[in-house]
Amino acid sequence: MATAEMKPIDVPDARYLRSSRFSRIVNVAGIYGIAVLFIIAGAVLQGLGVINNFMTTRNFLNIIDAVALLGIVAAGMAFVTYSGHYADLSVPTTMALTGIVTVELLHYGFVPAVLAGLAVGLLIGAVNAVVVGRFRANPIIWTLAMSYVTMGVIRLVWVNRQIYPDVQTDNLRTIALFDGIFRLRLFNVVSLPVLLMILIMLAGHFLMTRTVYGAQLKLTGSARRTATFSGVNAERVVGIAFLLAAFTAAVGGLIITSLSRVGAWYNGTGYEFRAVTAVVIGGVTLAGGRGTIIGVIGGAFVIGLMNNIMTLIGIGTFSQDMIRGAIFILVVGINAKSLRSLGRDDA
Amino acid sequence: MRRSERDTTSSGRTLAWVERYRIFLLFAVIFVFMSVFAPRFFNVFNLTSILRMVAMNATVAIGFTIVLICAQLDLSIGTVITFAGVVGLSLKEPLGYALSVPIAIAAGAMVGLFNGVLVAKAKISSFIVTLGTLTILQGAIYTITGGNTISLSTPDAFAVSDFLAGPLIPLITPRILLMLGLVAAFELFLRRTRTGRNFYLVGGNRNTAWLAGINTDRYLIAAFVLSGTLAAIGGVFFAMESSAATLRMGDQSLMYVISATIIGGTAMTGGKGGVFRSFVAVLALEMLYTGVILFGLGNEVKIFIAGLILAAVVLYEAYAYYRHQREIGKRPELIRELAAGTTRAHAAVDAASDGAGGKA
Repeated sequence: MATAEMKPIDVPDARYLRSSRFSRIVNVAGIYGIAVLFIIAGAVLQGLGVINNFMTTRNFLNIIDAVALLGIVAAGMAFVTYSGHYADLSVPTTMALTGIVTVELLHYGFVPAVLAGLAVGLLIGAVNAVVVGRFRANPIIWTLAMSYVTMGVIRLVWVNRQIYPDVQTDNLRTIALFDGIFRLRLFNVVSLPVLLMILIMLAGHFLMTRTVYGAQLKLTGSARRTATFSGVNAERVVGIAFLLAAFTAAVGGLIITSLSRVGAWYNGTGYEFRAVTAVVIGGVTLAGGRGTIIGVIGGAFVIGLMNNIMTLIGIGTFSQDMIRGAIFILVVGINAKSLRSLGRDDA
Repeated sequence: MRRSERDTTSSGRTLAWVERYRIFLLFAVIFVFMSVFAPRFFNVFNLTSILRMVAMNATVAIGFTIVLICAQLDLSIGTVITFAGVVGLSLKEPLGYALSVPIAIAAGAMVGLFNGVLVAKAKISSFIVTLGTLTILQGAIYTITGGNTISLSTPDAFAVSDFLAGPLIPLITPRILLMLGLVAAFELFLRRTRTGRNFYLVGGNRNTAWLAGINTDRYLIAAFVLSGTLAAIGGVFFAMESSAATLRMGDQSLMYVISATIIGGTAMTGGKGGVFRSFVAVLALEMLYTGVILFGLGNEVKIFIAGLILAAVVLYEAYAYYRHQREIGKRPELIRELAAGTTRAHAAVDAASDGAGGKA
């Protein structure tokens, strides 16, 4: 008898049935719905003759090229946010330090230099992993302090110098390889950063949805206590999330340093907040345990799309900031409202 | 404090005392160390200059502390500082300071209101909202100024600037007096009035506060409005004293104020901390920075030391919390009994009940 009265799992609850159709559409379509809206808006503007060259393959390739770096950094950051730890603010200095170390070590060869750079990035991630994962320091404050310390180390060792590859002593082929990180194009279409972004996105998606770690991360992010009591090693799970964020930041550092051809303390400035923007617009909630990596890449794409359309219209950089900020709050607000009306609010 | 109740040993009590007054100890250590060792540190001129330098950040830290006590975050303070400075100075020519300064402060309050309403009513995370406002204001600042520093060079602007910078009595200039007044006022407000203490309740546990009949939304909004207002006051008076508003004048403040507030002992989890503590922490940090420069060390050492201190404080707090969490629910006396075996456990229970009886 009791089983007959039990509600089947896939029947939505009352709050879901009462929720508006709008909320449900927002919930399903997510960030790609917004992307489609932007593309339609761009197409209409082009039809009206306000902008030119929007609906071209070239333009869309440009947009993707422009957001590849952001997409990579955001994909790692998403794991931190997903684990319920807001953000890793040490990302910019991780990027800078990775780049500097790599350029500094280029004369030992390309592969050792890149590996050393990635290792330094992961070292910062490991410190974050221990302090935030194990000792549960506040992630925002700790990673902020970490970025201070890293910046201090960079300034102490290299002062304000920009580190160039040494053309006199370094192997020119090594330098060409390093420059190629940003510039290499496969089949003259897909650039290496875009390829990396797609690879990281697929790997991240697989990790988050198809592995034990992903399931543990989701549980830890949405309810850490429950996770601990279910036998999940939450300390390790959160630590790995910070390592992943540091890894993608290090990869991003290699790309941005290859782009500017110079290692410097200011490389990567602003990428912590840019990545958080992409992550949160992409549907990963700050409360943790909700969202997807594919959504995050969509978030980065929407940011690129928005910038592209505004630049084509001819809106100045500074007014773009204002519009970007407003859209950011709006998108996240709508998202939160949709979740709340579906009865899935946990913030 | 809870820890002092638990630790009854004298070393435990000392630790608890150090923990409780750590920011004042830190301040005293830095002050004495710098006065003794740093060249040209302990004199009226240098001390005045330190006070003048903290005047802006200490004012901003008041508002930030209140927001943090409410368990929220305000990332927009840095841009509000710049925004208020830019608005106040760019409207000075048509309107005069008498009107432009109130407008600038009101603009800061409006930004705070915007943040507060979105956080409290639209229920968007304060991290997101203030990050968005930060971006919007950055655009607004550049749009207003066209990317240039606003500097005033009229005689009356210089007169105001001289008045704000000139000492009334040794160590105290009008702007420093304003800062001290605001710190004292808000410290008393938070500690001694019911409204002020309610901020701690809202931050400590929002649901409990609501059940206790406190209009929590109103307090959250008020916290953000105060934060915006105080950031604007700090920014506009700083700009008036230097007769110039640069586009990046508030950029350093966010990190500075966050560090100082945390080092001062205000917890990010809310419900704990105080305005005066944040003020002392701002002062301690500035003395440290000035000392580092006086020793002839560069800016890079300053950044490094700032990072180390913040890291040490956060690490210490996290570790203490970690140990505390591990000990919660543990009953060492039971484990000892098990280890000692049943017979001796009975003896231990008897001894314990005797001891308890003896005390009673």
